Amino acid sequence: MQPHGVEILLVEDNPNDAELTIRALKQRNLANQVFVCRDGAEAIDFFAHGAGPVPKVVLLDLKLPKVDGLEVLRHLKGDPRTKSIPIVVLTSSREEPDIERAYELGANSYIVKPVDFEAFARAVADVGLYWLLLNHPPQ
Amino acid sequence: MNWSIERKLPLFVTVLLLAVVLALLIIGYGEVRRASRQLANARLQRASQQLAESFQRSLAQYRTQTLAVARDPGVVAFLISRGQHAEAQARAALAHIALDTVSNIAAELWTTDGQLLLRSGRLRSTAAVFPATDSAAVSPLMQFDTILHYQVTATVRDGAQVLGTARHVRRINLNAQARAMLTGLAGGDALLLLGNAAGAPWTDFASVVSAPPATVLQSATPARYERGETKRASAAAVPGSPWMVVVEVPSRLVLAPARAYLRRMMPIAALVVLLGALGGWVGSRRVTAPLREITTAAEAIAAGELDRRVQVTSEDELGRLGRSFNTMAAQVTRALQTTEMRLRSVSETAHDAIIAADADGIIQFWNPGAARMFGYSADEILGQPLTVLMPARFHDAHRTGIRRYVATREAHVVGKTVELAGRRKDGSEFPIELSLGAAPVNGVLSFTGVIRDITERIRSAAALEATNAELESFSYSVSHDLRAPLRAIHGFSRILLEDHNAKLDAEAQRLLGVIDQNTRRMGQLIDDLLAFSRLGRQEITAGRVDMKELTTVVADDIKRAEGERNGKLEIRIGALPPARGDRALLRQVVSNLLQNAVKFTRGRDNARIEVGSRLEGKQTVYYVKDNGAGFDLRYADKLFGVFQRLHRAEDFEGTGVGLAIVKRIVQRHGGRVWAEGKVDEGATFYFTLPFEES
Repeated sequence: MQPHGVEILLVEDNPNDAELTIRALKQRNLANQVFVCRDGAEAIDFFAHGAGPVPKVVLLDLKLPKVDGLEVLRHLKGDPRTKSIPIVVLTSSREEPDIERAYELGANSYIVKPVDFEAFARAVADVGLYWLLLNHPPQ
Repeated sequence: MNWSIERKLPLFVTVLLLAVVLALLIIGYGEVRRASRQLANARLQRASQQLAESFQRSLAQYRTQTLAVARDPGVVAFLISRGQHAEAQARAALAHIALDTVSNIAAELWTTDGQLLLRSGRLRSTAAVFPATDSAAVSPLMQFDTILHYQVTATVRDGAQVLGTARHVRRINLNAQARAMLTGLAGGDALLLLGNAAGAPWTDFASVVSAPPATVLQSATPARYERGETKRASAAAVPGSPWMVVVEVPSRLVLAPARAYLRRMMPIAALVVLLGALGGWVGSRRVTAPLREITTAAEAIAAGELDRRVQVTSEDELGRLGRSFNTMAAQVTRALQTTEMRLRSVSETAHDAIIAADADGIIQFWNPGAARMFGYSADEILGQPLTVLMPARFHDAHRTGIRRYVATREAHVVGKTVELAGRRKDGSEFPIELSLGAAPVNGVLSFTGVIRDITERIRSAAALEATNAELESFSYSVSHDLRAPLRAIHGFSRILLEDHNAKLDAEAQRLLGVIDQNTRRMGQLIDDLLAFSRLGRQEITAGRVDMKELTTVVADDIKRAEGERNGKLEIRIGALPPARGDRALLRQVVSNLLQNAVKFTRGRDNARIEVGSRLEGKQTVYYVKDNGAGFDLRYADKLFGVFQRLHRAEDFEGTGVGLAIVKRIVQRHGGRVWAEGKVDEGATFYFTLPFEES
């Protein structure tokens, strides 16, 4: 799968969550250029080659196989080429230390995924809309 | 100077005796002097009186003699004839006045016109003294050369006609013999004087002397005067003559008995004082010797000779003191031994190491606990420096600390409990907790340390930390991993409902609705459970919390959230004193209780919720009372359990965590919760919090 014109990079190991997320984005017509990474390593690899496409926003789950979400976050925010990409942490965890650490590492938003599907869809769609359409990244 | 009782007591006794004896001497001397003066006065007066009387008797005799001469008919006839007749008879009459004694020196017959008619004897009379009456008169004493003489004169009459006078001239014999004789009459030590009341001449019967002063002659009582020495003299007039006698005694003789008294008493007084001083000294020795013994014994005991006793056996106060001292010493010894035994037993039983060191850090005491802990026996370690027991990296700090404490008493470790590392005999290190004290023992600074091996504690603390971390990770997993499948169930059932609505009949749609409800509820349960578990780990930041304000805010929020409901909802908030606690957590308590009350009064037309408080000692009891559904008191103990519910879900929603959270928060604040209620009559929930002084 060649990542061309990627607008949203979704890093999510749970295929169900990934599907629900994509569906929510789709309902707002935001799902055209979504690329999904299934673990942290994959996400880091996505940016490894430099020449690859730069997504407008990264939706990042924290609990990931291989390399966890906070590590991915640290990696991306520590790299000058990727640090300006908005990263929205999407996670099930309500644990405050996670929220604190995510913001410390430079996360742009933090969303606790609700169990309620409607609420979940609304949250994902709102955040996608905001970062894709309303936010103007530094030129 | 050492003013010990041993010196003070005899000195005191001596001074006291001296004062008493001196006073007695002075008083006695005065008394004796007064008595002897009185005695002397009486004697002088008596003597002068007797002497005067004796002169009076003699003079009376001479007067009678002279009168007899004057009345002799021969003499009368002789004088009538003016010496012409009866000379023989006249001469015979004169012869009656014996001229054989030394005193009788002349007898004469004179005419009134001063012509001497007849005379016997040698000395011629001087001046005629005419007696005023028929009796004979005595002239004053007169001096001729060294002879004192006087005359007795009687008038010769012929009927009423005065013819002339008969004169009898006598001398006063002045010689040692006469004097001694007279003096002997007066008692030997007295001097007798005779003279004219009007003045000179006077005689002491040995020679002519000057007249005593008028003060003596005119005084009715004995008086003092100076003549060669101080004399005491008594004067008396000789009746029927112009003479006076004076008896005088030298004052020194008068005072002789008083002096003699002094002389006699002085040695006695000195002896008394001396004996008193000696007695005082012996007495003080008797008193102080046992005292000194007790003092010496006390010093010996103080120096550590605990079995020292005193040998004081008398039955008096000193004996009691000695016995009391012995009893006390025995008790002190016993108490000391008890204390020592107890201390030894404590130090030997103690699992901890108990070590004492001197101000140089040299180990002086080492208990079995220390031996077990460090591996050194007492024999090996006593006298070694404390640094042996610690890793080398602590040595410098240890030495500096000891030096600083000894010099300035500035304590960094003394009086505290610190965690350090110890070093065993085999060189291995282990964590210790050291409690260090410093106190002077027998005036020398000594450090006492109690050391606990905290290897085990650190290990269990680490284990506890690991458990906590595990628990946290478990909560995290629950939070993350339980929610994900639920979300999938909910999400996909929703998608089914949305995307395939047309293919589903009414029953299938109802079933999907049930799935929907339950997944939401499950999500709520998970969230509440996590919130509850988080409470156990959350730090409490205690401060002053205005419960009245907090409750008002919460009540307003709840009322607003409740919005429209059937019937009235009244929340009455009484006096709520401030509490000490974590504001956010207490807000949750109040919020949960109020929400509970609101929930269970939902069926009421007139829902009334009352929040109030009362003081109970240092705690405030807050309560939230409602008139809602209430509960059966039999199940009161289930109210505060996690997931425990007394009502069916279709009656009142809820997960059964709210009251469990209330209980946990209140307990973490050191308070307690309980509830009272009755089915359909409402419930009251109580909780206590520490009272915060405003």
